[in-house]
Parts: sequence; structure tokens; C-alpha cells
Amino acid sequence: MNAFFRRYLALATKEVQQLRRNRGLVIQLLLPPTIVLVIFGFALNPKVRNLRLGIVDESLTYESRDFINSLTENVNFNVTEVYTRPEEAEAALNNLNLDLFLDIPTDFARSLRRGETADVQVVIDAVDANTAQIAQGYLGKALEDYNSSASILPVAYSAPRPTLNRAAHPAPPPGAVDVRPAYLYNPGLVTTWYYVTGIMSIIMFINASLVASALAVKEKETGTIEQLMMTPAQTSEMLLAKTSPAFVLMMAVLVIALITSVVVFGLPVRGALWLFLLAGACAALAGIGIGVMIATVSKSQQQAQLLTFFVNPCITLLSGATSPIDNMPEFFQKLSYLDPLRYLVTIIRGVTLKSAPWSALWPNLAALAGCAILLFSISAWRFRKQ
Amino acid sequence: MKKVLAQAMKEFRLFRRDRLLIFLAVFMPVVLLLLAGGTQSLRLRNVPILVYDFDNTPLSRSYLETYGAALTFRMVSNEGQSPERALASGIGRAALIIPQNFERDAHRGVGPTVQLLIDASDSNSATGLGNMAAAINGSFDQRYGLAPPPKQTVRLQQRLWFNPGLVSRIYFGTGGLGMMLIIFPALLGALATAKEYEMGTIIQAYASSLTGAQWVLGKALLYIAIGLVEFFLCFAVGTIFFNFHIPTDPTVLLVATILYLMAGVFFGMMLGNATGTQSAAIQGVQMGSFLLSLLLSGYLFAIANIPVQIRWFSYLLPATFYVQVVRNSVLRNVGWGTSLLPVLALTVLAFSFYFINVLQMRKMQFKA
Repeated sequence: MNAFFRRYLALATKEVQQLRRNRGLVIQLLLPPTIVLVIFGFALNPKVRNLRLGIVDESLTYESRDFINSLTENVNFNVTEVYTRPEEAEAALNNLNLDLFLDIPTDFARSLRRGETADVQVVIDAVDANTAQIAQGYLGKALEDYNSSASILPVAYSAPRPTLNRAAHPAPPPGAVDVRPAYLYNPGLVTTWYYVTGIMSIIMFINASLVASALAVKEKETGTIEQLMMTPAQTSEMLLAKTSPAFVLMMAVLVIALITSVVVFGLPVRGALWLFLLAGACAALAGIGIGVMIATVSKSQQQAQLLTFFVNPCITLLSGATSPIDNMPEFFQKLSYLDPLRYLVTIIRGVTLKSAPWSALWPNLAALAGCAILLFSISAWRFRKQ
Repeated sequence: MKKVLAQAMKEFRLFRRDRLLIFLAVFMPVVLLLLAGGTQSLRLRNVPILVYDFDNTPLSRSYLETYGAALTFRMVSNEGQSPERALASGIGRAALIIPQNFERDAHRGVGPTVQLLIDASDSNSATGLGNMAAAINGSFDQRYGLAPPPKQTVRLQQRLWFNPGLVSRIYFGTGGLGMMLIIFPALLGALATAKEYEMGTIIQAYASSLTGAQWVLGKALLYIAIGLVEFFLCFAVGTIFFNFHIPTDPTVLLVATILYLMAGVFFGMMLGNATGTQSAAIQGVQMGSFLLSLLLSGYLFAIANIPVQIRWFSYLLPATFYVQVVRNSVLRNVGWGTSLLPVLALTVLAFSFYFINVLQMRKMQFKA
């Protein structure tokens, strides 16, 4: 045991010294969490505001202007231009100058005065399905408001339909059901919290694999791996010593990222911090494991980096860090269970935002630890084979 | 020109020897495109919702049915856990709680209140779910005559252009194409350049009769060609999986692609020149072309949402313009008129990156 420790210490010292000389790498590793996190935390915002609305008013009456006014009272629509012919609006939509346009027909006012239903056409650029859906929702709401407040018109009230009450008794006016949404964990609906937690996990994991593969393959490239093989140290000790500086660095990255998000974005930490750190440690090991594994299968640093580059985006995209896993197609949802980052993201969000119960988190933690152990054993086995 | 071609041939011979590199350069973008187009979606579908029906009457069950009929929600069992606990465990993303006396209150004319607890850790989805629930609730009230029918006077006839089925795959597929074509050519360019410095073979370039501009161009030529191959492959994949259509006027797309690839490769080479080591260059590409383009180019979220203070950054990313051109050509099928500005911007970016490269190499000497 003593000998093991001594050998480990000696090798680890060597690694630390090597790393210390490579100051560029250390700065590269420690700087991104702060800068990237802050930029993306501010920049990522899926909210849909200020949709550019074009209007083709063929009616040109008091009623049509009233209708337009009531639709554009809210902040969601900006009337960019009023057209006289629908073709002009179509061209503007084609040229991306508009997100949607309304076409109010010539008989708009006449229909309203007669108490008929007036049809208004809306054309939405639906290339971005999400925005289009939200725009539809806004329009529906605005129209509802308009329809319920329109007072200038003679409206024929239809009698309330008979309800479930027995016909013999005069039915009291039935009460409308009301649904009250309550937003748990994030009542202010701060969008950044979701992305900050996701990006934090991505940065940590990706950097772990990148650094580990770079460090491991470098020995191979410069030929110093022979010297390592000659030492009395065993493979496991070598691997441990090789990865411990990277591990420490990654934990530092994670802590810096957490502090940044708490200070800059007010991210709440509602759960147990030790769980966060434990999950981070497992994920760092898993990331390093992936890196070392890649390093052992590739011949040059170029190949290793390329492989890492291939593996990392897959891991990022499948993890649910940027877009919820529930929205993915079935096949990708199943595939995401193989992704260690998925578990890290779940735990980090669980700890910071939700204070999730232990019973919900431990399966994730176990999966993460399992990944770490598996990846490490594979890389140790491959390392020994060399 | 002959010198440039000779340099390109040399690069090609080097590249050909690395089997893994060839395999990855061709195969990776296709797999990643499928992932990037398939996994990213902000549309709500089949969201698991927990149900707590404390009334258990015909009316409350019809109320639940209304939710079940919507494509947005998928009901899941609450497994006997309290709503807060079940939400914290992530079993569902929302919990619908129907109080006791729901039916009686409705008939008495006292509007019963149903509570919907929404997990708002993803606030975008949470807002969407809240709106959806309000809409479903409204239609329930209508159907069961619990609320007076609206004095509907104006009706909207909605037309969704370019993507009538509101399929987000189309949107993310086209964005994904842009992502692939910036990542890999930039990476290859960065690696090839940094390698020269690492191996010390850069001195051969210095010693040759090549000028800096020729050297940069010759090196880039091969990677632009590889990028074009990747483009055609990805486009083929896109026609199969993401409903890409070949635009009536494909020239815009082709010109933009070539400019975009140039921008990508020159950007990568710039990083390679600046850092001189492969691992640092990779880090740079990872940050500069992968993360920044993924998040700021409008692939995921509208650029208009980015705060003005950092929005200028989006306009320095070639991906921002290219994604626009791809969506214009492939989805909207509009020609040069709409895409002219983005193509111009791409030209400017490509040539500025090239110019920086030439500046870096102008001395053809070791850095002092």
C-alpha cells in the first residue's frame, strides 16, 4: 500500500509539473466556464417577442382599424408595415421582412355590422415551428379578447345550452371551470436557469474528455510512453496518476461554473451540495474515461482529437442539456440512456432547481458511477494491452 | 496557380494516408446531422402529466379526457406519491389536481378551480404547458356549456407557409446542415495547419518559393473540396430524413456553400496559425465553431432574442448567414433576391479570415 502510494505520488507529481508548464492549457480550461456561461446565459432565450406583423387592410374602415388596434395592443406584435395589396405582403414574407401578416377582406366591416362572422386571413412563416406555434397562440388570445369586448356590434346572444341538470328544474347558471397553473421551482420563469445548468454540465464533461485524451496520447506521440512502461508502476497506478490532475482541474471548473451561475444569474441551490459535487466527480471520471479510451484506440493526437470531436457533440445533443429529452423521437430517447451526460444534467438540475428527493436522484447517480467505472475499466484494459 | 495546386496535391497525399481521418471526415457529419436534426425540438408533444382526481365523478373524468385527447399531454400514474414529490422526481412534468366537489361546484354555478402544478425548471416548456392547459380548459367549458359561448365575430383563417405541418425537424435539419459544414472543415483546416508547426515542417513552407497567400490557398483548397463532398452527402441525407427539397435555383445555395466552407476552413487555419499546437487549435474550433455556432447562429433560438450587447457576435459567425441561406433555399425556395445580403456577408467574412491568414503568414519566418 505504502509502495503504491509512493509510486502514485511520484507519477502524479510528474503530471502536475507537466501540466504547470503548459499554462495555456490550464487557462483554456479555467477561463471558458465563466465567460461562456455568462454569454450563453444571457444569449439563450427561446421567448418569442416582437413578432414582425404586416397588415393588408383592404377594408379601410373604422372597424378594421379598431380590430388591428386591439390585436397589436400587446408587446408580442410589432406592426412593421401596412400594405395595400396582399401580393406585397407575400413578397415581404418571402424576403424575411415579416414573420406573419393579416389580410382583412373588403367585406370585413359589412359582415360585422350585419352580425355575421367576418373571416380574416393570417399567413405565418412556419419554418420555425416553435415560433409559429407560439404566434398562433398569441393571435388566438388577442382575438379572444377582441371578440369578447367588441361592443359596437349588435350581437345575437345564443341561450345557454341545457347542461347536465335535469330539465324539470330551472338550471342555475353553471360555473365555468378555471385552471390555475402554478409554476414550481421557478415561479419567475427565469429562462437562463435551465440553460445555465445545461451548459455547466456540457463544459465540464467535454473538457474532461478532451484534456484526458490530449494528455494520454501525447505520451504516445512523443514516445515517452516507453519510459512510463519501464517504470515499476502498474497500469492502474499510472492511469490514476495520469488522470488525477485533470480530475482536480475539472472539479475546479465545475465549482467555478456553479459560483458564476449563482452570482450572475441567481441560480438557486436548493438541494444538497455534496450530491452536486459527487455527481460532478463521477461525471468527471466518466468524461476522463471516455478521453483515455479514445486515446488508447487512436494512433496520433490528431486522430484522438477527431474522435473526441465526434463523440462530444453526440453526447451533448442527446443529453437534454439544450432541449428537453421528452421532445425527442422515441428512438433518441432510448439512446439517451447510454449518455452519461444525461444523468449529470438531471442531477444538477435536480439539486439546484428542484431539491429532488434522494430516491429520485440515486438511480441517476448510480448510472453515472456505473458509466465511470465501466469506461475506466475499459481504458485500463486497453492501456495494459499496449 | 501551379504552385497553389502543387501545395493542394501535397495536402491531398497526406490526407489520403490517414484512413481514420478520411472515414471520420466523411462519415461523422452524416451521423451528427441526423442527431442534430432529430434530437433538438422545442415543440411540446407527449408531455407526461400526473393526474390527481379527488372528485372522481363523470364530469371530472370527462375533464381529464379532454386533456388526454390533446396530443400535448400523456397521462401517467402518480404511483401514490404526493404531487410535489412526484414532480421533483421527474416522473411527470406537470400535475393536474382536481379538487373534491368538482362536479357539484360546476353544477351549482360556483366555478371550481383545478390546479396545475408545472415543473418550471424549463421555463419555456412551462409557459407553453400553461397556455395549452388554459386553451383545453376553455374548450371544456364550451363543450359542457359551463361558460357562455363567445360572441365570435371575427374568425381567423390561418395559413402556415413553408411548413404547414409545423414539423420542427425541418427547421433543425437545415440548421444542422450549417453546423456540420462549419465544424468539420474548420477542424480539418486547424489540425492540418497546427500539425505543420508541431512537426516543424512549416520550415519547408518557409523555405519554398511559395508566398504566404499561395500557401494558405493551397492548403485550404483540399479541405474546401472535402467540405463540398460532405455537403452533398448531408444534403442527400436531408432529402431522405428531413424533407429537404432541391431548390429551383440551386446556384445561390452552391455559391453560399463554397463561401461558407472557405470561411470555415480559413477560420480553422487562422486558429492553427495562431496557436501552433493541435490541442489548442481544437479547443479553439470547439469553442469558436461548435459551441458559438450551435448557440448563437439562430440554429436553436431566434437571433432577435439575443441581448443587443452581444448580438453583434452573431453577425461575426458565418453560420448565422449560411443557416439563413439554407433555410431560404431549401424551405422557402426563394432565389437570389432574399439571399443576396447573407451571401455578401459570407463573402466578407470568408475574405477577412483569408486576409488574416495571409497576414499571419506574410513574413514566412519563424515568429521572433
